[in-house]
Amino acid sequence: METLILGVGNLLLRDEGVGIHVIQALEKETLPSHVHLMDGGTGGFHLISWLEKYDRIIMIDATLDANTPGTIRMIKPQYASDFPPLMSAHEIGLKDMVEVMQLTAGKLPEILLIVISVVDISSVGMKLSPQVEAVIPQVVELVKNTVC
Amino acid sequence: MTKRIVVDPITRIEGHLRIEAEIENGIIKDAFSSGTMVRGIETIVRDRDPRDVWAFVGRICGVCTSTHSLCSVRAVEDAIDTVVPPNAEMVRNIMANVLFMHDHVVHFYHLHAFDWVDVVSALKADPAAASVAAAKLSDWPKSSTGYFKAIQDRVGKFVDSGQLGIFANGYWGHPAYKLTPEQNLIAVAHYLEALEWQKEIVKVHAVFGGKNPHPNYVVGGMPCSINLEEPNAINAERLAFVKKKLIEAKTFIDQVYVPDLLMIADVYKDDWAKIGGGVSNYLAFGDFPIGNYGETETYKMPRGIILDRDLSKVHPVDANSPEEIKEYIYHSWYKYSKGNSEGLHPFEGETELNYTGPKPPYDFLDINDKYSWIKTPRWKEQPMEVGPLARMLVAYAAGKQPQKDLIDSVLKELNLPADALFSTLGRTAARGLESKLCADWALEFFDRLMDNLQGDSRMFEPEKWKETQWPDKCQGVGLTEAPRGALAHFAVIEKSRIKNYQMVVPTTWNASPRDEKGVLSAYESALIGTPVHDANIPLEILRTIHSFDPCLACAVHLYDESGKYVHALDTF
Repeated sequence: METLILGVGNLLLRDEGVGIHVIQALEKETLPSHVHLMDGGTGGFHLISWLEKYDRIIMIDATLDANTPGTIRMIKPQYASDFPPLMSAHEIGLKDMVEVMQLTAGKLPEILLIVISVVDISSVGMKLSPQVEAVIPQVVELVKNTVC
Repeated sequence: MTKRIVVDPITRIEGHLRIEAEIENGIIKDAFSSGTMVRGIETIVRDRDPRDVWAFVGRICGVCTSTHSLCSVRAVEDAIDTVVPPNAEMVRNIMANVLFMHDHVVHFYHLHAFDWVDVVSALKADPAAASVAAAKLSDWPKSSTGYFKAIQDRVGKFVDSGQLGIFANGYWGHPAYKLTPEQNLIAVAHYLEALEWQKEIVKVHAVFGGKNPHPNYVVGGMPCSINLEEPNAINAERLAFVKKKLIEAKTFIDQVYVPDLLMIADVYKDDWAKIGGGVSNYLAFGDFPIGNYGETETYKMPRGIILDRDLSKVHPVDANSPEEIKEYIYHSWYKYSKGNSEGLHPFEGETELNYTGPKPPYDFLDINDKYSWIKTPRWKEQPMEVGPLARMLVAYAAGKQPQKDLIDSVLKELNLPADALFSTLGRTAARGLESKLCADWALEFFDRLMDNLQGDSRMFEPEKWKETQWPDKCQGVGLTEAPRGALAHFAVIEKSRIKNYQMVVPTTWNASPRDEKGVLSAYESALIGTPVHDANIPLEILRTIHSFDPCLACAVHLYDESGKYVHALDTF
């Protein structure tokens, strides 16, 4: 099963970029050959053509919810509306991508969503908050356990 | 009675945009545009290697992802005085034209169309009648009764599932929608086709830029090697792929986008070609050189300024001059060392944040004081509109043939006077016509690249790459056109590091707050005088603001005067 690990976020808005930080950490790991990594950046629409190629997609993103910063949750969204709220500055891109794929392709790859609760997405900077940075190894383990 | 309404956010990606409008007797009397998310990217690139900056600034936005990178390498190349080889200039042109086509099509169908097109009405259309109407519009082959029936069923099923998704909470049924059900169905079908189309055209960025989104650039050229015979380079097979994508793009724009645009324009022209004009000055830095970047006379889109809508004269613009472009902060949340009233040229630009607005969540901004994170740029103290309309008007006034002929023929076809260009509809039409030109230009640049590759394979100019070749202190400006308007980056380099970096982006010109004298910028000005049928569902505000292409719009939340949430809209 061809699997894409897709990190999305804006690296310049601190915790907003946590999905990209996870991809960078995964690049150092040994992964099976059916697993592919993608730094999706902030690119909503631009990503659709790449996503259609895979049987399974694991998206990694930041969420600003009521949970303690650093909380990791794995969600299996059935509809775009199952996505958690306030998913950062590129929220619409990701939700819309799923809706668009539903509408145009008629079928969706299996989608898993790993969200990390974050603290700071509104100040400009490239460093993660300590609480968020601390859980990156756990997210890496979670991804590896899911795909290996 | 005056009623204040708030539309927030209108867009989310390049800063959050909020509009507060005062409506009196059904007409917008005053309007305030506010960027409610701080930028300040400048602080991230300070003290970095100038050759790396393109990679950071390209991450600002996922929509016009490559344009900031291009502008950045140009600013640094200007500072260190290097000229890129012709092949690199052509590849940059092709990538920029691809971005324009992608951005304009996605904007028209996926951001702006539902301001004019009623999806729910499309479900009532007669597919056979839609087929006849579509065949009259163009030669596009997907126009059979069966095709429109299938689209109608697919959308109907999606809507019936209760997962409205992208169609949720539109202003469906609003009396300002004027298209017939069949016209609505044609537009909805093309909305879906444009989704399929857009994912193909961006592949050109991956070929030349190595990846997409956020393709790669390099100071001094382009980081792609072309060798027609080499399997591991960009070879003849990859170039044939690029050409195929460019031809597909042109076909779609000629046979689908432009005919749909004219169909919509014809229905709405009696109202929307008369309002939404706003400021009367237009600025374009221009782009797409046939020669090199410094040879502005070879630009497909010329550089210049139009004042007071006088199309008989194009005024020159010098971004380097300390007397021309200045940014003001009278109504913006910043502090300047020289005080609140002074304007600063971007080379002297300062980015000290100074938030004095209400503590969120708030009902209204304090519009008498500072009310935005966007600075107010002025050219010789004058407000400017930037974007497709500004570019087309500057080209028209400069007598550029393809632009002038195209504008004249469309005005004639729609039976509109030249004044109709200065409007919401004029802005939307300019974008479509520009896309048509970009489709032609992309193919021309491709042919020029192929010609030039005979005997010249250079893609990178190495002479000034090493910092030892640079002066101790230097500064440069990079100019380009982003799809939504004139873009400038200003880099000050000292001891091979970035000392100051400032960007004046299109949204700054268009969405900025008024200046100290109370002169409005483009968004605010364009809304004045617009009738609003129902203040609870201000479709008219969205039409005009979206006509500027304020990046991707998303959930729009409306609040009434007491701050109570009244409505939400997903438009993206």
